Amino acid sequence: MTEMTYLRAISDGLRTEMREDDRVLLMGEDIGVYGGAFKVTDGFIEEFGADRVMDTPLAESGIVGTAVGAAVVGLRPVCEMQFADFVSCGFDQIVNVAGKMLYRQGLPVNITVRLPSGGGFSGGPFHSQNPEAWFMHSPGLKVVAPSTAEDAKGLIIASIRDPNPVIYMEHKNLYRRVKGEVPEGSYETPFKARVAREGDDLVVITYGAMVHTALEATADLDGASVMVLDLRSLVPLDEDAILRAVHHCSKVVVVDEANQTCAAGAQVSALIAERAFEDLDGPVLRVASPDAPIPFSPPLEAAVLPSVERVREACRQLLEY
Amino acid sequence: MPQMGVSVAEGTVVEWRKQRGDWVEADETICEISTDKIDTEVPSPASGRLIEVLVQVGATVDVGTTLARIATDARPGEPHSSEVDRPAAPTRAPAAAPPGAAGAAGAAGAAPPPVRAPAARGAAARRYSPVVQRIADEHGVDLDEVEGSGRDGRVQKKDVMAYVQARGGAAAPPSDEPTMHIESPYRPGAGASLSGPYVPPEGRPLSRMRQSIGEHMKRSQETAATCTTWIEVDVSRIEIARRQLGITALPLIARCTIGALVEYPLLNAWLKGDVHTVHEQVNLGIAVALGEDGLIVPVVRSAQDLSPEGLSRRIRDLARRARARQLSPDDVRGATFTITNPGQFGSMMATPVIAQPQVAILDVEAIVKRPVVVTDAFGEDAIAIRPMVILGLSWDHRALDGALAARFLASVKKRVESYEA
Repeated sequence: MTEMTYLRAISDGLRTEMREDDRVLLMGEDIGVYGGAFKVTDGFIEEFGADRVMDTPLAESGIVGTAVGAAVVGLRPVCEMQFADFVSCGFDQIVNVAGKMLYRQGLPVNITVRLPSGGGFSGGPFHSQNPEAWFMHSPGLKVVAPSTAEDAKGLIIASIRDPNPVIYMEHKNLYRRVKGEVPEGSYETPFKARVAREGDDLVVITYGAMVHTALEATADLDGASVMVLDLRSLVPLDEDAILRAVHHCSKVVVVDEANQTCAAGAQVSALIAERAFEDLDGPVLRVASPDAPIPFSPPLEAAVLPSVERVREACRQLLEY
Repeated sequence: MPQMGVSVAEGTVVEWRKQRGDWVEADETICEISTDKIDTEVPSPASGRLIEVLVQVGATVDVGTTLARIATDARPGEPHSSEVDRPAAPTRAPAAAPPGAAGAAGAAGAAPPPVRAPAARGAAARRYSPVVQRIADEHGVDLDEVEGSGRDGRVQKKDVMAYVQARGGAAAPPSDEPTMHIESPYRPGAGASLSGPYVPPEGRPLSRMRQSIGEHMKRSQETAATCTTWIEVDVSRIEIARRQLGITALPLIARCTIGALVEYPLLNAWLKGDVHTVHEQVNLGIAVALGEDGLIVPVVRSAQDLSPEGLSRRIRDLARRARARQLSPDDVRGATFTITNPGQFGSMMATPVIAQPQVAILDVEAIVKRPVVVTDAFGEDAIAIRPMVILGLSWDHRALDGALAARFLASVKKRVESYEA
């Protein structure tokens, strides 16, 4: 075990898997000589060479399209979108080409697309988004979103090994803020939910950076015992874990950092309405960003993103219901 | 008497859940009926007071016969109209008549729309969340007696849980008797009977389901010339496919059996007297145990068109509905071949009884790891550990001979042992 940041854990996972499997290669903008916009791949080009750590043109469609071709002939490319927001330029290659290749041609597309996502640092509307739901809605893709350093490493390795295209959501605001003990060597984190904290009176269901917001908001909530469920994987969604938690607690708050409409939490809420109706002791409450662009201005951004205070208020409201 | 399936013409009233004078909600079970295929509950077509029971328990009547009458202008808690000394002309809706008839009666009587009973007494009716209602149902709690700690006195889950716990503690005080070892012959209060003469408990008539099963089984044994042939099969490939697809072995073995039935249609047949009907379509009966109550054999229709996953889904759905007693008579009719699968308890061999008028039934026993002789690619023999199962086929010697039964089983074996997912 070594203590490292979330960001170093991603680097460690990539490096471990590249050392173990020479089919793994990286592609992205400024990931080679410069070491990546966030320095995730710092030092990689020296160890693995420019053939496996490829600096690409500013063309996400080209990055993903090339990776799909490489995967079809047996390689395991990992694409970095410099910011998750820019993935929209590669959308067609991910959604229509990579996601449907197995269905149409029977060819697995073993690619991983890393999406540095999320706000909280005045990045403005083009550098702060959480676009995971776009991909949840599209069959053929998996979507994961780690919240801890240990899971960041385990899930990047599991994503590289999974034969499907996997969208790996890495939250920029966790990069250097979150630290944790990370096991040495190679391990896979399953695409399953994790109980971040046990509890009985209410469950907060969330993922990514909001796990930390939820833990802080409910650490001391008038003595209430609050469970926090970290989904970790959005596709596949760990329905059993969600239904178990709802059965146990009967009161549910679902938190998304993404814009509220059709977010991952909307799917979670729909699942609960369909399958856990008789376990509910109150309405399912949602806390998410309103359907607005993420503002650049620090006070405005703080007003838009779900805060510890907003999550706490929602929990209080439901506990008293 | 509702129509419970296309070919059911009559039914027997088994039990009245509501008595004359009882209030009944729409869709609440009013009585239980039994047909020659299944037993089922009859939901009330309207809310009101049961004012007349027309068909007594045990009576068998045609479909469409009015079973009872419900006064739809009654109110819960009011005295029965016959007890009030006023010239009342209650509108009457025939209970459990076919939907068309009920609609016609309502229209002809120009009845006011049936009034739903209020959820609780008085104006201060309380509303409860789904989980609170479920817990109250499970523990028989009258929610009016539970103090609510939520907003505006709402009863929360924790309130009803605390109530159940408090009441449970009072109702069942801890026993003074020390816990006995399971082998101990001593039982509290049994002292007197130890020395006295044995008094057998009173006998009771067999359930209708048991009587019906008994009659079918006896009739089959009197009708068919039943023989049983066994074959031992290596299910290594089924075990692999089962794990890949996340299903049980049964639908995979069923898929292989269906393939063999298409190859040997003489086993996918009926024999009624001397009329022999060979089917192209495979309607596969699957025996589903209903605990100690008995068993029922729902049918997967056109099973030849289904993949193992499709078979698995259909079998699961039928089994679930069978255990919930929700099968319709059409779900249990028309099987052309049956599979029974009691091996889950570890048994190795059986001689199943053919379901008339079919000509064969396949028995799938427990999958057990056994040392077997296998031959490798170079023709060398070796002993290997393989998951094995014994398939038993009971067949009717009137319809076919042992050689065909053996060829059929060999075909199933070949399909199972060469299975490709």
